[in-house]
Amino acid sequence: MDIAALLAAVFDPQILLTILIATLYGSFVGAMPGLTATMAVALLVPFTYFMDPVQAVAAIVATTTTAIFAGDISGALLRMPGTPASAAYVEDSYALARGGEARTTLFVSLFSACIGGVVGVLILATATPLLAAIASNFSSDEAFWLATLGLSCAVLVGGPSVPRNFASLFIGLAIATVGIDVAVGHPRFTFGLQDLYGGISFIPAMIGLFAISELLREAGTRPDLSLGKLVIEPLGTAIRNATRRMRANWRGIGRSSVGGTLIGALPGAGADIAAWIAYAVARRVSKTPEKFGTGHYEGIVNAGAANNAGVAGAWTPALVFGIPGDSVTAIAIGVMLMKGLTPGPNIFESDGLLIQTLFGAFLLANIVMLFTGGLAVAVASWILRVPRAILMPSVLLLSMVGAFAIDGSVTSLWITLVLGVLGFAMVRADIPIAPAVLGVVLGEVVEDNFMVSMMKAQGDLTGFFSRTPAAVLGTITLIVWAALLWRSGRELVRAFRTDDTARNANP
Amino acid sequence: MDGGRELLTGGVLMVGGVAMFVTALGFPVIPAMAYGPGLFPKIVAVGLFLSGAGIATEGIVGRGAALKERLEVLPILLLAALIVAFILALPWLGFHIAGTLVLIGAILIFRGSWLTAIVFAPIATVLVHMLFYNVLRVPLPWGLLLPIAW
Repeated sequence: MDIAALLAAVFDPQILLTILIATLYGSFVGAMPGLTATMAVALLVPFTYFMDPVQAVAAIVATTTTAIFAGDISGALLRMPGTPASAAYVEDSYALARGGEARTTLFVSLFSACIGGVVGVLILATATPLLAAIASNFSSDEAFWLATLGLSCAVLVGGPSVPRNFASLFIGLAIATVGIDVAVGHPRFTFGLQDLYGGISFIPAMIGLFAISELLREAGTRPDLSLGKLVIEPLGTAIRNATRRMRANWRGIGRSSVGGTLIGALPGAGADIAAWIAYAVARRVSKTPEKFGTGHYEGIVNAGAANNAGVAGAWTPALVFGIPGDSVTAIAIGVMLMKGLTPGPNIFESDGLLIQTLFGAFLLANIVMLFTGGLAVAVASWILRVPRAILMPSVLLLSMVGAFAIDGSVTSLWITLVLGVLGFAMVRADIPIAPAVLGVVLGEVVEDNFMVSMMKAQGDLTGFFSRTPAAVLGTITLIVWAALLWRSGRELVRAFRTDDTARNANP
Repeated sequence: MDGGRELLTGGVLMVGGVAMFVTALGFPVIPAMAYGPGLFPKIVAVGLFLSGAGIATEGIVGRGAALKERLEVLPILLLAALIVAFILALPWLGFHIAGTLVLIGAILIFRGSWLTAIVFAPIATVLVHMLFYNVLRVPLPWGLLLPIAW
């Protein structure tokens, strides 16, 4: 790889400006309660449509990285995690902020996020080319198994209820079947609408699932957004204290950064699951587990590093196999496909410079975040004073115009609304959204490869195992399926038991 | 133990799965090919049905999870109706008028004051216009304002 070309690509003024603006945007959206990191990316997508591929991907990674950190701002000041990834340690950061250490807490979050992010990117940049080399001679059999494995994994880790995770996945796959079919060109589930022949357009679908659904939910809430009496310490003291806290916890930072990257790389498990697991592990190995949840820095450091490491980790399966690690990378894959880039092992050969630039931009975003995130911490109490009555309507208008802008058709707006209502209903029914997004993105890939392999094998399912790599992947998939069956069986048995106890206790 | 929500969710998914399967039965079968366009949708439909059945079972055996938060229904319905009205009115009224009106409506739904609505809505609409029309060069419909389009 030509280092000079790479540096020129990363330090291109346009890319630098994009990263700067995206980190500011990410800080703002992430900090606002009710606006999540995924929503920030969904709203960004219409704009990426008008960017070149590197710029588009740089904008997405910079926005996600900062938004995941900035979720801590409203968590600490309002006890309302700005993004789900900040939920694990919200009790700690809120208690510390009430105790007069708001800025120290947030700088600890920021520094942990930066270190976690950098470690994640380094692992990503090292591991992906190796994995790509292994994956480079995969056929339709392996592609089918990989996509199926990705989807099954999303079901396994998606949420606490296996049937709900499955439901989410199949809802996503059902959405993906809309449109002209790949084999013979028959229109499916288009309700006679010509505009649906090309399938459900991706951008309106994401804006609906992540922005409109949240807006609908927000309309029904009356959150208490008053900051109350808050003593805020001087910036210099906060940074000094935060540095001291970081040094005291260096071991946890290392462990959680690596662990967060690995968890983030599991399809379906994103930054939020990485944060919860890192928090739980930190508590288990801590000398003072009883302090967790009462305003203790250890959990914040660990989970704060893990969620940003998870952001980078999620890109591993996305780039190498085209299987998104979380909702954001699912959206990013959609954006890359729109730009004519097909994520997969071959992209490392065909667009090597682009991938290297992506890693460079990712690294840079984590460093730029130190400044823009620091700025956000400094003005945090002002950011949170932006009234909801102005913020939410603006998001609504941007969503609608963004969905419309792609093809200038009113059908896109209907898709946005229908999927917004669907997303809202799923959230109300406790059905996670991430597996559905994976289903939407991967549906066509799964079906294409399934059909090709079916025709090759003439319906003989053992054909799916005839090549060695396919057999390995197929076996892993079957193991994941067995784990799923075992898990749902255990859940049912436990449910019957608790029901019996409940009945015996209260006849 | 309240499993009503699980029964409803599961029921909707099961009905959806059946409807999808029946529709997929109507897809053409190509004589030379064993596997037509209906195969994959049928698999997905079975999946929808089974996961719906699983969720309903959870409700029946009493694993019905408590609803995390209570929401006010009226503002949600109003917001959904507002979006429908915006989509219907957009081609006819044009972006500027429809955008201003949708912002006024949404500001009121999110409990802003009339003053905020009247002042903020037109300004934000013009800003969005500049962002999309002048920076990204996306044509937004002018509708009624076509005579004064710039």
